[in-house]
Amino acid sequence: MSLPMTYRHEAQGGEETPGPEVLTQDVREGIDRLRGRANRGLWSMALFLGISLGALKDFDFVPSLPADIREMLGAPPPVTLISTALVVYSFSAIILILSRMALNSGKYGGITHVGYLGAFYGFYHYARALGDNFWAVLAAGVTVLALESYHVWTYYRGQIREEEEKLSRLEARLKRSSGS
Amino acid sequence: MFKSICARAIVPVAVTVTGFVVICCLLLYTAIKADMTSDAVQHSSHLADTIVKSTRYAMLKSDRETLSNIVSNIGEQSGVDHVRIFNKKGLIMFSKDPGEVHQYVNKNSPGCFNCHAGTVPSATLVDMQKARTFINEKKIEVLAITAPIYNEPACFTASCHVHPAEQVVLGTLDIGLDRTPLERTLSLLRSRMVLFSLMVLILTVGGVSALLGRNVFQPIKTLTDFTDRAADGTLMDNFPKIEGELGRLAENFRKLILRHHEAVANQKRQPDGLPEETGDPEKTPD
Repeated sequence: MSLPMTYRHEAQGGEETPGPEVLTQDVREGIDRLRGRANRGLWSMALFLGISLGALKDFDFVPSLPADIREMLGAPPPVTLISTALVVYSFSAIILILSRMALNSGKYGGITHVGYLGAFYGFYHYARALGDNFWAVLAAGVTVLALESYHVWTYYRGQIREEEEKLSRLEARLKRSSGS
Repeated sequence: MFKSICARAIVPVAVTVTGFVVICCLLLYTAIKADMTSDAVQHSSHLADTIVKSTRYAMLKSDRETLSNIVSNIGEQSGVDHVRIFNKKGLIMFSKDPGEVHQYVNKNSPGCFNCHAGTVPSATLVDMQKARTFINEKKIEVLAITAPIYNEPACFTASCHVHPAEQVVLGTLDIGLDRTPLERTLSLLRSRMVLFSLMVLILTVGGVSALLGRNVFQPIKTLTDFTDRAADGTLMDNFPKIEGELGRLAENFRKLILRHHEAVANQKRQPDGLPEETGDPEKTPD
């Protein structure tokens, strides 16, 4: 289902329809907004890669948890359990994104995925197993976020194409009215 | 490039399959590596316990010559980096390397720190805590096991240098084993997993791409080229045969375009010499 394009100067009931110049400006602004939405995936990917750079060093720039906090939190979960959760999460996330592609839904969940992946880094770091499992989390993040970015990009490219066609028709009308 | 139907069908499949296979292989390799390392530590720990039991009689009889011989023989085995027995104070009493005898061990070094971290040294350690890994001066990775030699009733009642009963640990056996065979096995496992993953990816992504290309994308491209030329007014005489549903679509397109061209041609040829009709709503010349 496509998201409706909204224009700043849409005519409300009883009002005069805005002129072609105003509509053209609206459509241009709409195209810019769509381009921004199409590139959202890149921001999530950049954020995840930034967190991954910290994880690569096992977050050594962050002071380690004090012993009393560790005692309060208790023993970390077994590494096998964290890895199983990572596989299940990756599988579910990929299925979710593919189903959104199939349904042509514009829904975007990139930041949520960055949160989940950051949590996996955190769990492995707390279990003192981040060094061995860093590449697995990185591969999961790149796969999920790349798929999400591609889906969002193709979805909004379609909408941008429609708006560009609309813009070219409006510009043609403007040219005709200025010529006559 | 990413706008074509081919890219929109193949890219998500390729990213999904590649990503998931890589994730699973990495996690599987890490799990196998952890299991193999744990097995190696357990095996080394049992070996250390066996050595302690083997030297027990010689220690009870205070037969230092036999003890020194046993340690030297063990040290000569391939894969043994170092073997030493030191007393409670950390003084090396017996070693594969004669130059180390009567030298002190640094209690803050890896392997000693686990027991000696607190003010009162730990009396017992689990297998994994007894193990440490380091790279020696010959750039070889070594797995070292530290096995405490506990005091027993036979020890503190023996006729030789009697240990007080309240002394829990009499000394420590420290043995280091070469990790090269384990690393070699892990490297071989890595190569096999990479090869398997590549084969799976080539089969799935390549197979799907080839089949889709042959049955869907190539016919669609042919049909698109045909309709592009027809829109420009060029009819293709030798229209390639396409099978299946796309073939029916292509044939219907061809018939529609042929009928259109015939209708245009008929209108231009007026048998009664009347001029060409213009403004015909059905006529759509390019």
